[in-house]
Amino acid sequence: MDNKTVETISYLARLKLDKDKKEKITKDLENIIDFVAELQDLNTEDIVPLSNPLEKVAPKREDSVTSKNRKEAFLSNSPESDQDYFMVPKVVE
Amino acid sequence: MSIRFKTLAELKRLLENKDISSYELVNETFKNISSSKTNSFITLDEEVALNKARDFDEGKVDGDLAGIPIAQKDLFCTKNLRTTCGSKILENFIPPYDATVVDNLSAAGSICVGKTNMDEFAMGSSNETSYYGTVRNPWDLERVPGGSSGGSAAAVSEGLVCAATGTDTGGSIRQPAALCGITGIKPTYGRASRWGMIAFASSLDQAGAFARNAEDCALLLNHICSHDSKDSTSISDERENYLDNINNDLKGKKIGIIKEFDISSLNREVQDSFEQSKRIFEALGASFVEVSMPNIRLSVPTYYVVAPAECSSNLSRFDGVKYGYRAKDVDNLEELYVKSRSEGFGDEVKRRILIGTYVLSAGFYDAYYKKAQQSRRMIKNDFVDAFNEVDIIMSPSSPSSAFKIGSKTEDPIEMYLEDLFTISSNLAGVPAMSIPHGFCNGLPIGLQLIGNYLEESKILNFAHQYQKNSDWHFKTPDLGESS
Repeated sequence: MDNKTVETISYLARLKLDKDKKEKITKDLENIIDFVAELQDLNTEDIVPLSNPLEKVAPKREDSVTSKNRKEAFLSNSPESDQDYFMVPKVVE
Repeated sequence: MSIRFKTLAELKRLLENKDISSYELVNETFKNISSSKTNSFITLDEEVALNKARDFDEGKVDGDLAGIPIAQKDLFCTKNLRTTCGSKILENFIPPYDATVVDNLSAAGSICVGKTNMDEFAMGSSNETSYYGTVRNPWDLERVPGGSSGGSAAAVSEGLVCAATGTDTGGSIRQPAALCGITGIKPTYGRASRWGMIAFASSLDQAGAFARNAEDCALLLNHICSHDSKDSTSISDERENYLDNINNDLKGKKIGIIKEFDISSLNREVQDSFEQSKRIFEALGASFVEVSMPNIRLSVPTYYVVAPAECSSNLSRFDGVKYGYRAKDVDNLEELYVKSRSEGFGDEVKRRILIGTYVLSAGFYDAYYKKAQQSRRMIKNDFVDAFNEVDIIMSPSSPSSAFKIGSKTEDPIEMYLEDLFTISSNLAGVPAMSIPHGFCNGLPIGLQLIGNYLEESKILNFAHQYQKNSDWHFKTPDLGESS
């Protein structure tokens, strides 16, 4: 876990680390990765990965409208909205 | 009449006998909260709660929990009531809907007095990662209440409310219940709906309850648990009445002790309490069997791959656009995302997002994430095998009692080991609870009871029988002047 790796994953996660905290976080990440590294030596031959404890198949339902449009309610939580839209900085020049 | 430290069942009786009105009860609750020093609540809902109490007193409301004030962890969406998840990024978030668990508890007539403090996005074991300040343990204000549901645990422990909701992803109900000397239960994964719970690690998150004893927890689960078509992982089997089997005889029942949990390395008082609790169950006719769960030692490292991976994915929705905090003075959309997230999330959340991003990134996925999912199955198989031999499994809930605020914040791994005994139940998805069973350094400690899939009834039965034959759950903190 070096500076370059931390920069790459920070970019992927859309996070910018404060300069004064970067060193500590890099060290923490390194320790955590070391801590979980023992899994790599585990013999997992023929073990099917478990992604959900119940191993259920997602249920299906009728393709019908189940809730009404609540545009105002949802737009009201936006930091910036304009009638029908969530507002963001201009993306097309 | 003092309502502090009354159980849910006691308050129900007082209301039924008209010894107290719901209005008095709710009013007194807010008075107690205002003089509390634990910082258990982030947001209160006084006006609405008092109106609901009046409605009950006028005979307009009925239900199993009618007229009873309770608290909701600030991770559950509450319609028209601010829901922060302990984070700055949701400081102004007012959900337009109720979580199913909240809805269920309101339908039973309970009155939500407010939202309890918690570690940011439920990531922490001490409540120190909350943007809204650390919660203090009512037993010693210099110590943590545990986490992540620390506000709920402290509020019940201090007698502010008789019941509160919590969520448990790796121990977030059981560890704070233990450290605050109360009872807390996490049902089987999928037994309670996750709809309206702000997601941390979706394959591990589960809602549950805090109360003063197992019987009250059973009553709460009767409403918290339900099938919900809005949650695709919700279990569709009919829910039991969790009070039905609570008085079953324990004669001939087998309790498993996990061979690989080395209890002899723990504090003497933790060991002694564990031995004394074993004797209580033996006197009730249960016997103990050692079960070997060789993969359980992998639980903490497995969790710290799986949980951050799911967290990094779930928390990508916080981008400053549709809701939540938005950074000022940005030039473009990319900067809006980066600045809003960087200013809105705290350090522990960032750490976990970064770990998750790392283990899911190209080149590392097989070595970490896939490997962790495989070890997760090995841990689950250990539970399946163990429950072929025993009725329940027993262990301490946490390695020790509450630690000093600030004493474990420098080293994340030391904090992660707080959940050594609790994490495996989340990975396997089995139900588990913590009940008070002694003291270590003058502070409460908990006993963990783990059940097989959908056997909440059985662990509640064991817990209730234990509590009928012990008095640890009657112990309350000395609140000094604040009481």
